[in-house]
Amino acid sequence: MRKMNGSQILASSIRWLIGLLICIVVMLPITWVLSISLKPPEEWVAYPPTLVPLKPTFSNYIILFQPGNPVGGIAEMVSSAEPVTRAFINSLIVVPIATAASVLIGFLASYATVRFQAGGATLPLFVLTTRMFPPVAFAVPLLVYFRMLNLIDTQLALILMYTGFTIAFSLWMMRGFIEGVPRHVEEAAILDGASPWRVLLTITLPLVRGGLAATGLFVFILNWTEFLLAQIFTSREALTIPVQVSHYVGAVGRFYGPMAALGIVASIPVVVAGYIIQRYLVTGFTFGLVRE
Amino acid sequence: MADQQNMLIRLERLRKEFNGVIAVEGLDLDVVEGEFLCFLGPSGCGKTTTLRMIAGLETPTAGDVYLRGRRITHLPPQQRNVGFVFQNYALFWHMTVYENLAFGLRVRNVAPADIDHRVKEIAASLELTDVLHERARRLDLSTMQRVAMARTLVTDPEVLLLDEPLNNFRPGLREMMRGELKRWQMHLGRTMIYVTHDQEEAMTLGDRILVMNAGRCAQLDTPRHIYEHPANLFVASFIGRPPMNLIDVRYTVEGEKAFLVRDSLRLDITPLREKIERALAGETQLVLGVRPEHLSPGPFPEEGWVQFSLPAVVDLVQPLARKKFLDLKIGDALIKMVVSGTAPFRQGERFPLGFPLHRIHLFHPTTEEAML
Repeated sequence: MRKMNGSQILASSIRWLIGLLICIVVMLPITWVLSISLKPPEEWVAYPPTLVPLKPTFSNYIILFQPGNPVGGIAEMVSSAEPVTRAFINSLIVVPIATAASVLIGFLASYATVRFQAGGATLPLFVLTTRMFPPVAFAVPLLVYFRMLNLIDTQLALILMYTGFTIAFSLWMMRGFIEGVPRHVEEAAILDGASPWRVLLTITLPLVRGGLAATGLFVFILNWTEFLLAQIFTSREALTIPVQVSHYVGAVGRFYGPMAALGIVASIPVVVAGYIIQRYLVTGFTFGLVRE
Repeated sequence: MADQQNMLIRLERLRKEFNGVIAVEGLDLDVVEGEFLCFLGPSGCGKTTTLRMIAGLETPTAGDVYLRGRRITHLPPQQRNVGFVFQNYALFWHMTVYENLAFGLRVRNVAPADIDHRVKEIAASLELTDVLHERARRLDLSTMQRVAMARTLVTDPEVLLLDEPLNNFRPGLREMMRGELKRWQMHLGRTMIYVTHDQEEAMTLGDRILVMNAGRCAQLDTPRHIYEHPANLFVASFIGRPPMNLIDVRYTVEGEKAFLVRDSLRLDITPLREKIERALAGETQLVLGVRPEHLSPGPFPEEGWVQFSLPAVVDLVQPLARKKFLDLKIGDALIKMVVSGTAPFRQGERFPLGFPLHRIHLFHPTTEEAML
């Protein structure tokens, strides 16, 4: 390693310090949640709080899946809640499907608007209007429609809404990535005889893979944590994890332990998804390699 | 030059407008099979647009494009079978060199064994065999260029269109690649249309050059002829480095003798009298053009040379390695002259100035067309 002089050492130390600070700020809440999830009821809101549980226990996790299990003495408090399995399965069905649909539609739509100016210059802005009102403004009319269609408390209702509400994000995020693909690269493929679909699938799509991954992860997290619509449109059959979290609030108080445990369990799929696609996230757009 | 037999591409009254801005206007052109044709002009003169219309990447606003006598004006680019080398090569970054070369063949549903054979063959002829399995984004510039060439050649196009392919090279390498390109063209025997704004490139590479200005053809001819007989003021001032000296003068006749006059500066051009008077048709104003490299300090031979009536004064000497650029004052005109690097000229020096009569250029002041 090359030698550093005084000012470089200082600069390097400051960088490390700032990095460390950011890590603490980011990690602290997660660590705190993890800590609570391992604490017995008497420690949840004890004062002074301790970061490390005094009497660590897995009972909060067990309660999630077996609400009636007497372990840890909290069963009678949360027995009103269903096992989280159903919410988990619902979330794992609804969110990936809605995310995939949103990213696919968003990708195709943004390609059409960028390359062919489909719908004119205003179409992308028009799509954005779906985000100009809070979702709750749409909730009541949608509730009426879905009632008529018999879609209340179904996974399909959530899939439709999550797809629709995130298309604006997908479209706008993908626009930037598609604009980054040099037009000449596509033209070269066209001159080689490729049809528009072939150009899209074999040239453009692989080149914006990183963008698709980033958009997908973003939309996935958005949908995974969505509470309001899920709360309004589901009751028992199609409820999702965020709604399930709210069920650990009872007449006698908030059950921080199971809530925290569910928070930890619920973040696992997101972390896994992020981990799987991270190599696409850092593809680093090398179009700048040759000046445009 | 072009007879019907070997004519490959014909452009007729080609015109292209972008949102009301005219990019190309009234362009006629015949491209002969096997020739190396250069489109030369300043940026924005419409040369790339013309190339893209030949490829089908732009649709002409008016006029027609013919390929072997067949009208292809509105044929989609996929069906034209033209090769196009883009300024930035536009390689498929996410593929290997092999996949880049095979792409066009796969699209055309060529049999896999055939694809492999043809890819390897073209790779060998452009010295790409060693990098066939490298990713395109990892290549250096000159290899990228060869891949871009190979990729367009592998589908055996009728014509190869090149859009400033040497622009990304630093000066030294650029001259080297220019030589390479010329060698390939001779070796491959393909028809090539080459767009450039660099006159040296056009002069060295082109069998013919189409000089373009503001969307129109300024001149179409061999490099030598364009240099020696520029058709108008634009070509005269665009071709040649430093550019041709252009001086506004007046034509007068005194007895038997004819002169070009600018205040007290006179040039006896009696031998050209008849020609000039025919071309002038009553006009007296015209533009005299002399190339800096054709000027010479005296003494001059009796025959075939003309001499300015006033001596030139050296205003500035700009020495280069093998030649010197001199800024000269002659009367109130400032003109440039190129001499050998060893010629001992100093600032303030005075000497008689002249040039061979056959090197004279005269241009009409309003039409800007050459008169001789």
